[in-house]
Amino acid sequence: MKAAHFEHHEPSTVEEAVTLLADLDDPTILAGGQSLVPTMRFRLSQPDDVVDINGIDSLDYLREDGDYLRLGALVRHADVEGSALVDENYGSFADAAPLIGDPQIRNRGTVVGSVTQADPKGDWGSVLLAHGGEVVARGPDGERTIPADELFLFPYETDLRPAELVTELRVPVSGEAEGSSYHKLKRKVGDYAMAAVAARVALDGETIADAGVALTGVDITNIPVPDATDHLVGEVPSGELFKEAGELAAEAADPEGDEHGSAAYKENMVRVLTQRALADAVERARGEGPAGSYGTDQLTVGD
Amino acid sequence: MTEKDVTMTVNGTERELSVEPRRLLVHAIREDLNLTGTHIGCDTGNCGACTVYKDGQAVKSCLQFAVQADGSEIRTVEGMEELPEAGMGESDLHPIQEGFKQMHGLQCGFCTPGMIMAGKALLEENDDPTDEEIRVNISGNLCRCTGYQNIVKSIQYASDVLNDREPPESPVEHEDASLETAADGGETVTDGGGPATDRSCSCDSGPDLTMDYPTGGEDR
Repeated sequence: MKAAHFEHHEPSTVEEAVTLLADLDDPTILAGGQSLVPTMRFRLSQPDDVVDINGIDSLDYLREDGDYLRLGALVRHADVEGSALVDENYGSFADAAPLIGDPQIRNRGTVVGSVTQADPKGDWGSVLLAHGGEVVARGPDGERTIPADELFLFPYETDLRPAELVTELRVPVSGEAEGSSYHKLKRKVGDYAMAAVAARVALDGETIADAGVALTGVDITNIPVPDATDHLVGEVPSGELFKEAGELAAEAADPEGDEHGSAAYKENMVRVLTQRALADAVERARGEGPAGSYGTDQLTVGD
Repeated sequence: MTEKDVTMTVNGTERELSVEPRRLLVHAIREDLNLTGTHIGCDTGNCGACTVYKDGQAVKSCLQFAVQADGSEIRTVEGMEELPEAGMGESDLHPIQEGFKQMHGLQCGFCTPGMIMAGKALLEENDDPTDEEIRVNISGNLCRCTGYQNIVKSIQYASDVLNDREPPESPVEHEDASLETAADGGETVTDGGGPATDRSCSCDSGPDLTMDYPTGGEDR
């Protein structure tokens, strides 16, 4: 089906975009468009005005800057996948990127677009939560930051206001002794997660100084698991400890059974994936070199 | 709604179009530019048949609007033979196209243009990929005929040509195929005068229902 008629706006600055968003009646923001375009074609979404931000060059950056790793709104999944900086210090980002969609989708789809779409099966929301990150939104009243754990309200519903544009997603810089990972269970290459877990661990000597665990696809939004964090901090990493954290994560999960797996199965997968993700995160926190040289290769194609 | 003027360089030629903003890039390519080699398979962004090579990347042309391609450079399957690598193999074709022909990389051919463009994007970044890298890179393209084995071999064939290696022998005969070899690589049945694979048959005698099923070649 063809999309309904719409007016295509191409701002070249953030200011212009925010003005358009404030002045137009219920506009839609187009970034990567890999979810929006099909939605419009099926007329599940029929905006009169589409504000295409692809021409705002100032939003295309991925860098460590000050206290944060910053991803501008035009950073594509493929940019994260190909980033040496990410591979070196941000294992969860490095794990998640190649597990999203397929190469063509990753070339176009954006990280910020995926987060703001707030699909409970989206991967980046959990990564953001596990890192205790935030998004930066620009609106008519200026700029504000929204912490990840206040961003997701309902499926496809965020705390963002209608005329706000998310310009940046950021997470605190990863220290030397920090590691993270993302473990995803999916039925086939390119699929959304049946269940997935993002984990981050910062070590102080042999003990865990800080941690984050977040879940994908097992509740109405991506959710953090603060109980698991509390349980991990101050402890020495061990298989037993990860098992307990897995239990807490499974308790926090509230999945719905579907044709691909029962609720009990998904909870069990959360338990298992949490243990694996934490083990990889600790290994990466202790080790040196790129994330890819530690942890489980989830990309291996079997025959 | 107002139409927008869009200029894009398609297969090396600058093309100017006036399109409704809602017009998909794939529709502009197929219907406005008459380049119907780019296919529409699923209408949902899953199948990859509409893959084109845009500004140095493989993208699905059904997942963006034509207005988003303003100022871009696009290559479709029709433009593959004009690339510098074309003719490096045994024919005038691009090595990837030749690979699909030689290695039997297609049956119905519907996914082939998308596969070729995905293959091009891969070989542009890495002209000597492993089997696994090929599989990961065509994971956005669905084929319902071949089981992918020969598609992987076809891209591998192109990689061999690009790296001056001797590509493997084709399992299929082409130009010099005699009547002894049927199009599917099997053998024609010469006794009984069955009509099934004998192209000289006038076919007015109807099929011979008593004919034995062909047994296939010894190399199977």
